[in-house]
Amino acid sequence: MYNKFFADIMRFMALILFQLFIVDNIRLGYYIHPVVYILFILLMPYNAQRWQVMLAAFGMGMIIDLFSGTPGLNAAAAVATSYVRHFVIVIMTRKSDLEEKYNPSLVEMGFTWFFTYSSILLCVYNLVYFMLEAFSFKLLNIILLQTLFSTLSSVALILLIMLLFIPKSNLTLNK
Amino acid sequence: MFNILKFLKRYNPILLFVILEVLSIVMIVNSQPYHKRKMVNVSNEMSGKLFELTSQCNAYFHLKEENDRLSATNAMLMNMLGAADVVNDSVTTVWGNGIQLSDSLSRNSFYCFIPAHVIDNDIYNIHNYILLDKGSKDGIEIDMGVISDNGIVGTVSNVSRNYSSVISVLNPYTVVSAMFKDNKHLANVKWDNMDYRFGVVEDIPSHLVINKGDTLLTSGFSGSYPPDIMIGEVEDILPSDNEDFTRARIRFSTNFSTLRNVYIVKNNFKQELDSLKIY
Repeated sequence: MYNKFFADIMRFMALILFQLFIVDNIRLGYYIHPVVYILFILLMPYNAQRWQVMLAAFGMGMIIDLFSGTPGLNAAAAVATSYVRHFVIVIMTRKSDLEEKYNPSLVEMGFTWFFTYSSILLCVYNLVYFMLEAFSFKLLNIILLQTLFSTLSSVALILLIMLLFIPKSNLTLNK
Repeated sequence: MFNILKFLKRYNPILLFVILEVLSIVMIVNSQPYHKRKMVNVSNEMSGKLFELTSQCNAYFHLKEENDRLSATNAMLMNMLGAADVVNDSVTTVWGNGIQLSDSLSRNSFYCFIPAHVIDNDIYNIHNYILLDKGSKDGIEIDMGVISDNGIVGTVSNVSRNYSSVISVLNPYTVVSAMFKDNKHLANVKWDNMDYRFGVVEDIPSHLVINKGDTLLTSGFSGSYPPDIMIGEVEDILPSDNEDFTRARIRFSTNFSTLRNVYIVKNNFKQELDSLKIY
């Protein structure tokens, strides 16, 4: 248990650094803005309270904002994501899983489950992010395109990261 | 504090959600162009250090292109030096030829250029900013223009001791006073809010005939940019809802996606000029 908590803290810092110094420099075009740090919110344990998740999301968003010069933008999107996360989990997960498993990760829940879960949440994140960035509905078609492509690229990156950090004992994914 | 958290936890997550969202949106709305960087300025020094580190790593990958460009600029400057010698008698200097003062001008000329490196640059946002590695200790002040070898880049919006942030031309708040090279007519250049390669010229009187490929230069009237700095070329004519004015799309001569070395323009007579404008 202690080990997992420690891993969470390491993940928090590693993801922020990864987002700021590597992912933010990958811009493959106007529509593609991958976001990875939100993985921390996705992977918070099942037994974390909802207010804990939301405050963590707010704090993390603000740290990213501070460095990218957009006060409030990432924070707003991250809080919205953390709020929706609860409902997605309640709808998608069996009661028994909620009690037995530690967190909604690829290893614990399997590929299909995790893919759907992260796609829904990243879609929410990117939609809020790009709507607030444009701050008007005039650019709606651009917002939707940005959301689509950014979600696809973010999910791909997040799956890659999850696959990289699978513990050796869990190499078979069919759970 | 703990009681508040306990109350929130027991009461409803919706309450916390609404509070946090409102807080964030208030922050977004409050981030107006010139005040926007206030909050960021606090972290400017810290983030500047970190971004400088990463951009130093990045710079290695672009060394060859950068060397080519620098040697090209060098050659150009040498040529200009030669040309300046020839025409020195007629008191025309290459920069700031709009105003001709006495010959002693060579000692303190109208504009001087402070070289700087781009350490952070965004081009895909709606409001784009650039971070430079020169600050107040190098004499940088707010409202100074920033140019590159190829054209204009932006205006300094905030300065800390070692770093400065620049409102890029790729920002809805930027309007550049421009001039057609051929007929010297004035117009305003903005960004088209879409693509980092293109801008829009507005307020062109409709009797003017514009052709594809016409060159736009800075007018120099704002005092931030020197006159006759390249802005871009007309790409195509846009339909306008106003009969008296036409609009055109231009292609910026600056390539914002590969920006590395820039020059901050210091107008030595800025204060004097501004004091005249007030009255």
